[in-house]
Amino acid sequence: MSRTDEPAEDEPAADERQGSEPSAEVRHPIEWDEAPNNQKSADERQAISKREEKNDARKIVTGESKYTADYAPNFPDLAEAAVLRSEIAHGYVTEIDTSAAEAMDGVYAVITPDSETVPDRKYTSAGQSYPEPSPWDLTILRRKVRFVGDPIAAVAAKNGDIADRAIRAIDVTYEELDPVLDPEEATDPDAPRIHDPEEVENAQPGADYERNVEAHDEGEIGDVDGTFEEAATRDDWVVTETEWKTPYQSHCVPEPHTTIARRDQDDRIHLVTSTQVPYHTRRQLSHLFDVPIRDVRVTKPRIGAGFGSKQSMLIEPITVALMEAAGRPVKLETTRREQFYALRSRRPARVRLRSVVTDKGDIKALDMSAVTNSGAYGPHGRTVTGSIGTKPLPLYTHTPNVRFEMTAVHTNLPVGGAIRGYGAPQGHFALEGHMDEVAHELGIDPIELRSRNLIAEGDLEAVSGITMKSEHVRRIRSCGLDECIAEGKAAIGWDEIEQPEEAHLHRACGVALTAQKSGVAGDELGAAHIKMNEDGSFILQTGAVDIGPGADTAMAQIAAEVLGARSEDVLVQPSDTDISPFDYGAYASSTTYVTGSAVKKAAEDARDQLLKFASRMLEEPADTLETRDGTVRSERTGESVTLEEVGYESIYGDEVRAQVMGQASFSTDESPPPFGAQFADVTVNEETGEFEIHKLVFAVDCGVAINPDLAEGQVEGAMHMSYELATSAGLSFDDDGTPETLGFRDYGMPTTADQPPLKSILVETYEPTGPFGAKSVAEIPVNGVPPALSNAIRRAVGVRVSDLPITAEKIRAQLDE
Amino acid sequence: MDIDITLNGTERTFEAQRSDSLLDLLRRNGYTGTKRGCDTGNCGFCTVAIDGEPALSCVKPVATIDGTEIETIESLGTQDDLHPVQEAFVDNAALQCGFCIPGMIMRSRSLLVENPDPTEKEIREALSGNLCRCTGYEKIIDAVQDAAGRMGEEGVAADGGLVRGEGE
Repeated sequence: MSRTDEPAEDEPAADERQGSEPSAEVRHPIEWDEAPNNQKSADERQAISKREEKNDARKIVTGESKYTADYAPNFPDLAEAAVLRSEIAHGYVTEIDTSAAEAMDGVYAVITPDSETVPDRKYTSAGQSYPEPSPWDLTILRRKVRFVGDPIAAVAAKNGDIADRAIRAIDVTYEELDPVLDPEEATDPDAPRIHDPEEVENAQPGADYERNVEAHDEGEIGDVDGTFEEAATRDDWVVTETEWKTPYQSHCVPEPHTTIARRDQDDRIHLVTSTQVPYHTRRQLSHLFDVPIRDVRVTKPRIGAGFGSKQSMLIEPITVALMEAAGRPVKLETTRREQFYALRSRRPARVRLRSVVTDKGDIKALDMSAVTNSGAYGPHGRTVTGSIGTKPLPLYTHTPNVRFEMTAVHTNLPVGGAIRGYGAPQGHFALEGHMDEVAHELGIDPIELRSRNLIAEGDLEAVSGITMKSEHVRRIRSCGLDECIAEGKAAIGWDEIEQPEEAHLHRACGVALTAQKSGVAGDELGAAHIKMNEDGSFILQTGAVDIGPGADTAMAQIAAEVLGARSEDVLVQPSDTDISPFDYGAYASSTTYVTGSAVKKAAEDARDQLLKFASRMLEEPADTLETRDGTVRSERTGESVTLEEVGYESIYGDEVRAQVMGQASFSTDESPPPFGAQFADVTVNEETGEFEIHKLVFAVDCGVAINPDLAEGQVEGAMHMSYELATSAGLSFDDDGTPETLGFRDYGMPTTADQPPLKSILVETYEPTGPFGAKSVAEIPVNGVPPALSNAIRRAVGVRVSDLPITAEKIRAQLDE
Repeated sequence: MDIDITLNGTERTFEAQRSDSLLDLLRRNGYTGTKRGCDTGNCGFCTVAIDGEPALSCVKPVATIDGTEIETIESLGTQDDLHPVQEAFVDNAALQCGFCIPGMIMRSRSLLVENPDPTEKEIREALSGNLCRCTGYEKIIDAVQDAAGRMGEEGVAADGGLVRGEGE
């Protein structure tokens, strides 16, 4: 399978080539041709605004919810697996002696890169749409190892204990190479080279493997250099330069990655696996193992959360290869240690920012450059690093001159991947920290400075496409930032902070504004199918992948709103590639917006069909009927029939029989940003640098929230991860690149005892392109705590911590200076 | 080796290997409500009760549990008839992916049996060995506070004010 050279987004639009296109203002009108029933006032809504119980809540609390590992008893001859991983950061495996492992009782198969069932093809672990923008730089098992954690061999055995012992009995001889662990050093011409360009298929721009660069890209709007030159000649323009660093962050998914692979009764490959991307996994496995897509089936059971971790195809290929070698079903359940060092993490970043701002506070130029540490391989390298600029910079879209430059660099450390926020947290830390530095320099209130320059409804925004080669603009049709700021300020007590009596304690609030997207513009597909049962209930099938947040419940509520049914009468089937309509999967904050739109359309299709039956039954025109509370009623006559009566009529009626079945696909070039304002209230001890966070508040504009309980859950959970990034994230390694963070205790994930109270505020706006006005909410709250906390500390004691995590030691070190 | 325990009120004998943990034994025998998150006693997902005390089953060698009374999440309510703690977690939307929830509920129940009216600080201390990555803990704290009220009510109704009133 070969790949096209360039992502489609970089091709010039057809009308551009002809040179006679209408202006962007005309092509992206503020008005949106939405369905007439899309916008409903709060009291008109029947289903979407209810705090419905999550549809699997009772299964979860009784322990009956089944995750991948819980399916093991379904497969009586199931083998258990373990993986041998590289113990060195860089080198070659020159010999693998598996004889002792193979001789052990209960060992069914041992595979190495030389095994017949292990294809040598290249692939990427990034579960992205086709063709994947990430480089194909991985093989299933590896002879050249590039970080401590690279898989070398794997074992399937009667039980996990035997598999672990067999792994320890494999003897590996290495030829070691010098590792490079620092992204700055890695680009030095004399640094060890990690990849051979001949061995990688990389369609990303700017790759230069001689310097360990996997991707480099840049874009500019206006004239940045010219603005800085002018600033040098003017007293009333202020230049500010800052630099920011962010560390590795682990997803800490509760359920370790787990896969069960087997051959089904038709000899097809069937996986039950903890994935966010069943369809991408099916396609990527089919390419890798050279089997037709139709001969692979991926079933998604309950997932113990993803946060982007399970947007990567990490253990599925090993499990399939082992299953083929062992000739029986195989389960591979990763260990917590592997989760921390061998799978994927948030990539560390160094971001530099320069700005020109007038003394009145108008931003003239922003110049951002980001270098990220990809680790040993390149999944999501360009797309995450690009998002460091393209997600936050639109906040100040009125800036006439903007430049963004990005570089993703390989080292012999763990691999960066997709993780909640997708580059935006690194970018917001830099941009929103920088804004406070500018405010400080100008002596302007930090909120006032932001408000002068802020994006607003009606804006035509181009910065999110700054690295694209063709013109890209986005019309902002909903923006509740002003209200987010006002409500957040009130909730944190911005204007009422009282200083502690002790002279060495200083209290202050900090703020940071945030933006994200709702799906990947022009690169999504969600599809839905809904059918009506005789009893007036519905079966809804989507490929949407509920990985925990309650997407299935939200989908049922959207369908119920359209159909006038009760949400609990819409049963949602979990995604399974044999059964569900297609879906790109759970990533990029797309599910509610993209799949939710498909569900709405499919439900409208079904409603039109059921209204025809109701029309015959009530002898009234369909367009005069209304569905509500499980009934269809005629406004004129006041007569009604229940959905159950309609269901029976559709299937057993005397006149016309036809099952009510609605279906729809949804794809869009739109990706409206949700917005939010993060606030932190902190007291800092100027003698010790210790700080106490009294409260974190995040006010979010996610359009119309579908099920406020679920939306608040997203805000609180993401704020927890944001708090961790701010105060404790990071992986540590010794001088050889051997990981030292191997468990929750080493890592220091926040617990109930050390996490400050979190408050979520939902600010409603109406997004005309979204289902019933909804935008995304799952990722945006992960962006704000690092800058808001750093800004609060700056305001409290005058110290700027620009290198995450923020610790008492770093604050004290600066106070001591 | 054979292990004799009282599991969720029933006397049972299980075959086990010396290297097995209680978690291995439970999951292998179909008690999959108890989850494996780390196998090192650091996440709390595998919390059960041993002789009424909360315990991490993944670091409990089977040899040490012979003759004990074990309660797992399966010993509480059913989907149609939830235990008050389970009910409080559902009603407060205190769950998302759910992987930590069985352990969190077992730990919360133990706390409330011991301390029927805990302060928020006491709840935060008691649950600090049970991680949750999805909820930010906010709604979980709400649920445990709510559960305290529910268990108090049920306790009075069921057995005349005894603390251990769980509607069992």
